[in-house]
Amino acid sequence: MNQPIAIEVKNLYKAFGETKAVQGVNFTVEKGEIFSLLGPNGAGKTTTISMLSCLLHPDEGDAIILGHSIRKDAMGVKSVLGVVPQEIALYEDLSARENLAFWGKMYGLRGAVLKARVAEVLAIIGLTDRAKDRVGKYSGGMKRRVNIGVALLHKPKVIYMDDPTVGIDPQSRRSILDSVVALKNQGMTVLYTTHYMEEAQELSDHIAIMDHGKIIATGTNEDLIRIVGEMHRITLTINTESSRVMEAWKATQGVKQVTAEDGTLTLLADDSNRVLPHLFETAAANKVRISSVAVQEPNLEAVFLHLTGRALRD
Amino acid sequence: MKAFDIAIKDMTRSFRSAFALIFMFGVPLLMTGMFSLMFGGPGSNSQAFTLPVTKVVVANLDQGGPGFEAVKAQFPGGIQAGSMGDLIESVLQDKSFAELMQVTLVDSAEAARKAVDSQEVGAAILIPADFSARFSDLEGQASLELYKDPALTIGPGIIQSIMEQFMDSMSAAKIAVKVTVKQTGSTDPALIDRVMQQYLTSAPSGDQRATLLDVRTVTTNKQSGSPLLTIIAPIMGWLIIFYAFFTGASSAQSILKEDEEGTLPRLFTTPTSQTTILAGKFLAVGLTVVVQMTVLLILGRLIFGITWGTLLPVSLVTIGTILTAATFGIFLNSLLKSTKQGGLIFGGLLTVIGMLAGIPIIARGSPAADTFSTISLFVPPGWAVRGLLQTMNSAALQDVLITFLALTAWSIVLFVVGVLRFQKRYA
Repeated sequence: MNQPIAIEVKNLYKAFGETKAVQGVNFTVEKGEIFSLLGPNGAGKTTTISMLSCLLHPDEGDAIILGHSIRKDAMGVKSVLGVVPQEIALYEDLSARENLAFWGKMYGLRGAVLKARVAEVLAIIGLTDRAKDRVGKYSGGMKRRVNIGVALLHKPKVIYMDDPTVGIDPQSRRSILDSVVALKNQGMTVLYTTHYMEEAQELSDHIAIMDHGKIIATGTNEDLIRIVGEMHRITLTINTESSRVMEAWKATQGVKQVTAEDGTLTLLADDSNRVLPHLFETAAANKVRISSVAVQEPNLEAVFLHLTGRALRD
Repeated sequence: MKAFDIAIKDMTRSFRSAFALIFMFGVPLLMTGMFSLMFGGPGSNSQAFTLPVTKVVVANLDQGGPGFEAVKAQFPGGIQAGSMGDLIESVLQDKSFAELMQVTLVDSAEAARKAVDSQEVGAAILIPADFSARFSDLEGQASLELYKDPALTIGPGIIQSIMEQFMDSMSAAKIAVKVTVKQTGSTDPALIDRVMQQYLTSAPSGDQRATLLDVRTVTTNKQSGSPLLTIIAPIMGWLIIFYAFFTGASSAQSILKEDEEGTLPRLFTTPTSQTTILAGKFLAVGLTVVVQMTVLLILGRLIFGITWGTLLPVSLVTIGTILTAATFGIFLNSLLKSTKQGGLIFGGLLTVIGMLAGIPIIARGSPAADTFSTISLFVPPGWAVRGLLQTMNSAALQDVLITFLALTAWSIVLFVVGVLRFQKRYA
């Protein structure tokens, strides 16, 4: 069978005691695409990935990974998967080569095939020269690269990457994002979770926005932006209580939404050029001083704000 | 095959850790070495272990007794004695005691006490004037005084022990005389002398001093007659067992450690069954203890000259100990929620259990030794200690079978409980 669907997630539920971590998640990922789960910390992304990796049993629902059910055929699922966990999961007292060789064996590679594949992956992650060094001596970015390399050893058809760029320097982040695109170009299906809007926007063919264990929107980047129309996002910092201008700004023509947090107000508006003079006038009339202004073209951040009333990084 | 790969990886990590190596090999060897130095020094054929020679003064004021005056007593072994005091003098000055004490005679009790007070000697034996008279009186009680330096323990303790045994022997002879007098109604000194001689020569050796004092060397193992090895061999055996259990516990902790580091969950995302992963972890624990015990037993032999016993019984006890130490570690860690709890458990529980197991060695020769030995069997390493003591006493294979079976039974119980708890946790 040559089905176009790599991952089909059907009505997944997972609760930890009273906490409902995942509540009826559904989505499909086509073969060869990068699909991002975007949401703030605690949205349920990692729990979803854990169920799709067969680490957690779903309370309800199922998912089919390249024809293998996570409920009925966990070994089948694991054999076609490569998983890059959020935290670095390596043996720091072993070298990069020893780590890769060990994990390769766990994926069933042996002998000459294993040796060749370890050498290839070391080249891919750019650590051939440092292969004999213990991972504990590596920088955070180098560890991240080995962490990804482990998931590539057995040439999986599907790879899960759970927030792989957390806590690393810009250079290493760039390297990882490039490698994700390279994986796609090799025909791999990538399920990518992140709370960085820019990463999802740059990498993804399709994006699902998650919040409080639910998927609140799915589509391409363009599809999602269309939800908020062509609205601009205006962020203003003021020197006093937001309540003094908030109501007045809400009433300003062209302003669709106003949210406030810690002296910063975020507005969604049809046209920032037309709205901004009115905002300054109202501020002056209310003796409120605006100390900074930032205008952003429509993006996923605005979508999330529109859908939840909160910023993505709250 | 994957289980073996996991075990090899775990062992590689363990043996790369300086901390683990120090605890596995360094500490037991170092502690045994310290005991060895304390008691004389290392060496496979060490005769260097000698107790300090104690200086003793004897104030023999004994005026003799009726029996001794009537018949010049002739004791077996060639010792000539005109009184009980003379007899004690002769015994203490016997050349076989030369390694233990250096005896000097003084004329008065005051001089003897003064020698002790001024720390010229470690102990003084004061034999009163009526000692023989009281001894000869069948209803009387003869006593002498041991005056010793309270700051010294070993030397005067030995002298006290010798004197107590001497007095016990003489008391027994006196009872024999008393019974004879009572049964025959005769107090003829010649008869009494004959009874005394018959009693004193009844020992198989016929040796006067040996009969009177019956100085026995209590041996708990067959260490080529070396007193040093007699002391350090059981101690090292105990240390090997204690640290084998420590290694079992700390190696098994790698399961919790990997869980916290994220490598265990990652292992569960690979096409490797949970059973294989846990089997690999358990195999690593067992093999690590195998390496540790084997190396320590060999080094104990090479460095300290310890004879652990014949190959088969030692192997059987070692296998039993390895199984118990490894499964004990698995069981112990299955009770823990995190590695943070490990420090308290390892430091506290393992130390208590280790001490309980070592009681038979510490309490060797004490009146309650048998009771302590029984108590030690309530903990798994107690059986391991028992097994190693058995093999060191040249026990045959059949002699250690019960010990091995007990260790195996402990292992099965610990393994089953530990595995069930871990499987439940990671189900």
